[in-house]
Parts: sequence; structure tokens; C-alpha cells
Amino acid sequence: MGIGPTETVADHAADTPATAQEIAGRSPTKIALDRLRSDKIAMICLGIVVLFVLIAIFAPLLTRLFGVELRGGVPIEDTKADSFPIIGPPDYGFTWEAPFGLAPTTGDDNLAEWFYGARTSLFVATVATLVSTVIGIIVGLLAGFSRGWLDRVITFFIDVFLSLPFILVALALSPIIVSRFGADAASLERWSMFSLLFVLSALTWMTLARLIRGEVLSLREREFVQAARVIGVPTRSILFRELLPNIIAPIVVSISLGLPTFVTAEAGLAYLGIGVAGIPSWGQTVNRAVDYFSTYPVYLYAPVIGITVLVIALNLLGDAVRDAFDPKTRR
Amino acid sequence: MRMKKPAVALATAALMTLAACGGGGGGGTTDGQPQKLDEGGAAGSAKDPDAEGPLPMPEGMQEGGTITVGSDEAPTTFDPTRAYYTDSTAILTLVTRALTQYVYRDGEMVLVPDLATDLGRPNSDNTEWTFTLKKGLKYEDGSPVEPEDVAYAVKRSFAIEELPEGPTYNLTYFLDGDTYKGPFQDGDDYRGVEVNGMDITIKMARPFAEMDYLASFPQFGAIPQEKDNPETYGNNPLATGPYKFSDYKPGTSLTLVKNDQWDPATDPGRIQAVDTWQFNFGEDLNRLQNEIINDTGEAQTTVNYDNTTPATYRAIQEEDPDRLVEGTSPCTYYWAMDQRRITELKVRQAVGWAFPYRNYWRSIGAIEGVTREGSPTLLPPGTNGRKEFDAIGNKGIETDPQKAKDLLAEAGYKPGEYELSWFFENDDPLSVAGKDQVVEAFEKAGFATKPVASTTETIRTDESDNDPPVNMITSSGWCSDWPTGGSWFPAQWDGDLVGQEGRPNPSMIKEPELDKEQDRIIETLPAEETAAAWGEFDELMMTKYYPAVLTGYSGTAMIHGSKVGGMENDNLRGGPTYQQMFVTQ
Repeated sequence: MGIGPTETVADHAADTPATAQEIAGRSPTKIALDRLRSDKIAMICLGIVVLFVLIAIFAPLLTRLFGVELRGGVPIEDTKADSFPIIGPPDYGFTWEAPFGLAPTTGDDNLAEWFYGARTSLFVATVATLVSTVIGIIVGLLAGFSRGWLDRVITFFIDVFLSLPFILVALALSPIIVSRFGADAASLERWSMFSLLFVLSALTWMTLARLIRGEVLSLREREFVQAARVIGVPTRSILFRELLPNIIAPIVVSISLGLPTFVTAEAGLAYLGIGVAGIPSWGQTVNRAVDYFSTYPVYLYAPVIGITVLVIALNLLGDAVRDAFDPKTRR
Repeated sequence: MRMKKPAVALATAALMTLAACGGGGGGGTTDGQPQKLDEGGAAGSAKDPDAEGPLPMPEGMQEGGTITVGSDEAPTTFDPTRAYYTDSTAILTLVTRALTQYVYRDGEMVLVPDLATDLGRPNSDNTEWTFTLKKGLKYEDGSPVEPEDVAYAVKRSFAIEELPEGPTYNLTYFLDGDTYKGPFQDGDDYRGVEVNGMDITIKMARPFAEMDYLASFPQFGAIPQEKDNPETYGNNPLATGPYKFSDYKPGTSLTLVKNDQWDPATDPGRIQAVDTWQFNFGEDLNRLQNEIINDTGEAQTTVNYDNTTPATYRAIQEEDPDRLVEGTSPCTYYWAMDQRRITELKVRQAVGWAFPYRNYWRSIGAIEGVTREGSPTLLPPGTNGRKEFDAIGNKGIETDPQKAKDLLAEAGYKPGEYELSWFFENDDPLSVAGKDQVVEAFEKAGFATKPVASTTETIRTDESDNDPPVNMITSSGWCSDWPTGGSWFPAQWDGDLVGQEGRPNPSMIKEPELDKEQDRIIETLPAEETAAAWGEFDELMMTKYYPAVLTGYSGTAMIHGSKVGGMENDNLRGGPTYQQMFVTQ
């Protein structure tokens, strides 16, 4: 839904007569942020997200702080003959040596794995969201603003990409990457990360592109756009200086909903064994831990809780952002 | 025979001696686990040529019912001539009878007659074996089993181009084995098998004392020539056993139903208790094992023939240890070192000292002392004539990076100079974990490492390439087909196999000394001396050439539902004893 700048301000002004004298100086974004700031749930969720971001950024520091080591387990020293860890759950009580316990069979530390898993998760989600958003914006703007054949061609490509089954493409790409880059561990890691990001972003930009195309279709007939054209403003400027600011709301909403989707998608793909091999990931931990659901549940809970909390926080935050940016929401 | 897991090719074994073979397995565990694998080595040793059917029906048995059998693997073929994997040969025992068979008796597998009246009668120098077919045997369609059908099955086993992957001892030992290409190319005219009344005589090119064991393979059953089509026969082999194919979806499922033409009086090794066998392949192992542990509904009559994961092993011991079946399987895993690429003995021995045996087993989910045990010799415990020795002095289990470094230095390599490379399965977390352990250990011992990523789908093809981008082949292993080294060395360690399609000799070892010695044992030694000679040969090859890092003897740990009766460990194949299983009341 488009937001005419003037309407928004007027609407909002009517709601809050107490701040009437500030009306003139407030942009729609500022109004939305003010609304967001007063939303307690949004602020709590934001806090949680920031916490996860900090964990992701400072993962190496945190592992040192807790005195744990990533993938440092020695199977026969850190696990017993039946492959279960020699300290901590499930057989012994909590210990600061391994707050989340050790992984069975390998003896690797779960907490370190969890910290680095958060890093992978957030990195993948952020990059994929950014890339898919940028592609979506550009394609949407172009399709919406250009009339005739270019619009039809772009719409056709959007439809083609929408018809590609996400999981199947991911499944098909994975063995190709392995057979092509299998011989070199470093390039395999790099390329499987790249292919993961590619799959995630290249197959998710279409919804946003369509949304923006629709917005632009209606906006381009508005007086301010026509005025700009009449006085000879170049198309690029019209697109990015006149139209883009007016469709910032659906973009923000799309980003806020995209992030949690990518977190779960990354975990899901890793669980299917087509994520990034060799890099710690919550999905991979879940994949290994499901075997131990009945015998060592804590092993499974840690990544599951990580994913759940992060996704819920991102989703609620996204809802709040959408509400804040939607002029029709009344508080 | 090859093993069901891509991880290891293997075979079945029977063990002729009762000699306890404790020794070599050594090493042990720091956790006081008993050395179970060594103790079980002598199973399957006995023969009973006079055994007669029918088997008594077990007590506590319920008439009918269905036993569901699940696995995360899928047998490649059920063609009797091609079946050489442990899972497919075990399942085929329910359907196709062979000349001889094994029956489970008090903890061991005993070789007894099947289609034949006895275990075969060799001539004095073991160059002619005569089997007499029982009278009154019928196929599932009611037509009689003729001795010509058995003769045809023997001829069919030479058609390795049309029917690849099967046992190939006939090529070495049978008359004209090197020239006859089977009935599809060379017609019916084969001198090596003769039919005389109910007698079938197989003629050898060289003395072959173990024909009675080999005759237990589905290859030596009965196949009527007029009903054979090599391309489709494996989708519905004509049943002579207690069950017949009802529905088979390759790679997915197999349903067996009762064969009413089977006469228990002729069969000393099988019962026909359940109505239906439902095999499901390619299952999710974790879900399957959890269902069996929870033991509700259909899971009560469900069996899983894969080894238990460590999680399942613990869970079943807490829930109901009676539903855990443990035992041995006479198999050895190894990492074969390509002789053309790792040429110095010192370097190969250094690899042996650098290999992180116990860390590796644990990280890939093997349970030390249950499904894996240290292996100082290639021939597993219990093999007749096995000589106890220690290939490089590490008891098959010790890791010593310093010794490896010293050996490398003696060979003239600086740390980090010598590169070892091997395939791993990038999409299997256990394989990745195992790779990580090996990389760490090799690097600690002064090797450079280059693990090459493959996938579960492609690793077998990658490793059977004769010129792969690696210098070690990891998915190797073998089980005896019969209880002497005669089913080991000619099958995988013969120089003539180097360069053949499918890399039958994974280490690519081709040493004139070894090949000459093999020929001497096969060609000249009397039957009673060969077993010990193979034991000596094992020592010669492993100490003087060390062509493979021996990564452990295998064991079996399987689980079943509470209403499954008669399930024991078939220690020839490391699977359930299907032929004697039933549903309990």
C-alpha cells in the first residue's frame, strides 16, 4: 500500500493533537520509528535480536570467555565407550566446563558450536535478505516504471523464477558444487556458502519485485511523478528520488519478514545436508541431534531454542515494523 | 561377498575351526569393555551333511502375521547370480534355495544341505564335486526342479558381462573358467558341469576344497533356462524356498508371500511361519530405530538390520535389552593405500601409525567392542589357518604420531611434505566428522592432507575409478566367503586384478612375490595345507608390503520389535537369521 506523504502526516496529526506543533517537520519514516519506539514488544524483540547479533559478531571472543573451544573434541578422551560425553548432560550435572554439554561421539563443545551457529545463521540471513531485497527493488522499479515490452519481459522472468521449486534447486545444486570443487576444502567451503546464498536470494526476490511493481504502477500516474517528467528529470532520478522513498514501507516490511524466513531456510537446508559443510550451523547440529532426542535431549534443545527465539523475535519485530509503517493502523 | 553398506565391501564367512582366537584383537578399551568381537570369531564353524528337514516349529510361535524389515540401504539386485552383498544374499535365502545352506544352531551357523542331499562329494584331489539333487522339489509355479536347472545356474554364473557383481571364484577355479563367457555368449556347451540322473558334477581347473561353502551362494540355485531373461530375472526370481516375490519395487520395497509349493520335509534350514515379509528399503534410520524402540503397533513386528547408532544402543539397553541382537561378522575394514602412488613401505607404515583408530570409530558412530574392534591382521579372528601377528606393531589400534614422524623422516620426507588424499561423503555428518579426526591425526603426524569431497550417491563410483584424484581408498573392507584366506586374497589382492573395471583390487597391489605365492598356494598345495598357508600369506603381505591401514574388525548390533521371535545374528552376513524367524504370541 502506498503512502502519500501528505496523507500520512495528516492522519497521524489527527491522532496526536498534543504534538501538533511538530507536524510540519516529521517525515513518514520518523513517525513510524516513533510508533515503533513506543511498542514494548517490539523493543524487547529488538533487544533479543541485537543480543543475537552481538553473539554472532563476538562469537570467537565469547568462546574464549567461556573457556570452550570450537570443534576441539577428542572422541576417546571426551566421550565414554558408549559415545556419550564424559562430563555434563545427559549422564552428569551441569558444569561450567561445558555449559551446553558436549556432543556425543565427537566430544565437541556444544556452546561454541552454538555461538558460531548463530553467526552462520545471521550472516546467511542478512546477506540473503539484502541481496534479494536489492534485486527485488531494482527489478520491481524497472518493471513498474517501464511500459510495454520491457515490463512484459521482466514480468515473464519473475514468473519463471516463481515457478522454480526452491528445495529442488538447492538439492540439485549441492552435488554439482561438490563434484566441481570437492578436491579443495577451502574453495568447496566458499562455493557451497556462495551457492547457499545464491539459492536463498535468487529464488526469493520475486515477491518483493511484484509488490513494488504494483506500487510503482499506481504511483507513476501521480501528479508529482508526472511533474518531474515534464520538467525533464532523468528516469533514474525519478525512480530512486521520487518513487523509492514512497515505497519504503513495503520494503521494510519485506526485510523484516525475510530475515526470519532465511534463518529457518538456512537451518532447514543444513538439516537436509545441503547447507555449508564444515561451518557450524544450527541446522547441522539439529540434524545430528535428532538421533539423540530420547537419550540426550539437551543436545537438540540448544539449537532448536536458538532458532525458535531468534525467529519469533524477528517475526514479532517485523509485525511491529509493519504496523508502524502502515498508516491505517490506529493505536 | 560385498557388504550392504557402501562403506565396506564384504562377504560372508564360515569358520571351520573352533580355535578361540583372542590374541590379536588387543588394544582393548580404556573403559573395560569386553572384547566381544574376538570371542565370537569361531561361530559358523560346523558342518552337518546329514541334516534333514523339516525343522521343528518354534515354541511360542503365532501362526501367520507379517514381519516388517527396514533398512536405510537398498539392495542393488535380487538376481541370484549377481547377489553378492550381505543384505541381498540374506534376503534371498527365503526365496531361492541353493545346493547348500546355513542353519542357526545354538549360537553358530552350521553348513547343511539344501537342494542337494548332502554337502557335495569331492574326488580325491578336489577337482570334481558331485551334488545329488533331492527328489520332489518344485518351483513356485508347481513345475519340478530339474538338475539341468542347477547346471544352467552354474553356467549362468560365468556371464559376468550380462550379470556383473556376483562372486567370481568360478572364473579362477572352475574348468574353462577363463574362457567360457556364459550361456548368453558361448551357448550351452560348457565342459565344466555335467548332469547324470539327479547328479550334478562340477569340474575344476585346479583343486578347490571349499566348493561346499561356495555352493551356499544363491548363484548355485536352480534357474530354469526357458524362464530366464538376464535383464529381468532379478525382479522376480522363481522361488524354490518358503517365500516368493509378490511385489518388488527396486530401491523401495519388497513383499514376500508364502510359497505353497515348498515342502518343509526337504529343507533342514527354514521354517515358513509368517504369512508375509515386508521389506522397506531406503528408510530414515533414526525414525525406524526410534519406532522399534518405542515398540507400539506395527513396530512390535519390525526389524532393522542396520547397526544401531550409539543413541539407539543406549536407548534399547535402557528400554529392553532383550530386543538387541549382538554378534560378530567376520569382516575387516581397511583404508587401501594405492601402491602406485604411495610407493615407500616406510610411508605406508607411517600412515598406519598416524591413523586415529579409536577416535575415528567413535566419531563415525561405531561402538568400540560392539561394532568395531582393533585389527592387527587382515584375516578376521576365527578364520581357519589365521596366523596371529601384528602388521606394524600397533595391535591394530594404537596411534603414535611420533613413530609416524620418525618413519616419514627415515623415508626422507619433512613434516608437511607428503600428501595423503581420500574421498569422504560431504552430505553425511558422520563421514565429515570422521574425516575431521583423520585430518587432525595425519597432520599431527607430519602428513599434508587433502580430503576430497564426494557424496553418498557418488562415492562408490568415485572410489571404483582406476585413476581417482586420491591416493587412498577408504570404503574398503571384505568378509570371508568361506572360512579361509582363499576367499580373501585371490578376490582382492591379486595382481591380475589391477586395472580391471570397478577396481576389484583397491590397493592396486601387484607384487610378483605375492602373486607367485598365491599361485603356489592355489595350484600346488594339498587342500589341508592351504588354510595355514593363507595365514602365512597374510603375514607376508601385511608385514612386508602393508598395502592397507587395517581399520578394524566389524561386529553387529541390531534391534527388533517385541513380537519378533527367532531373530539371531547370522554371523556369516552380519544380519538377521530370516529363515528361522517368526511372530510370537
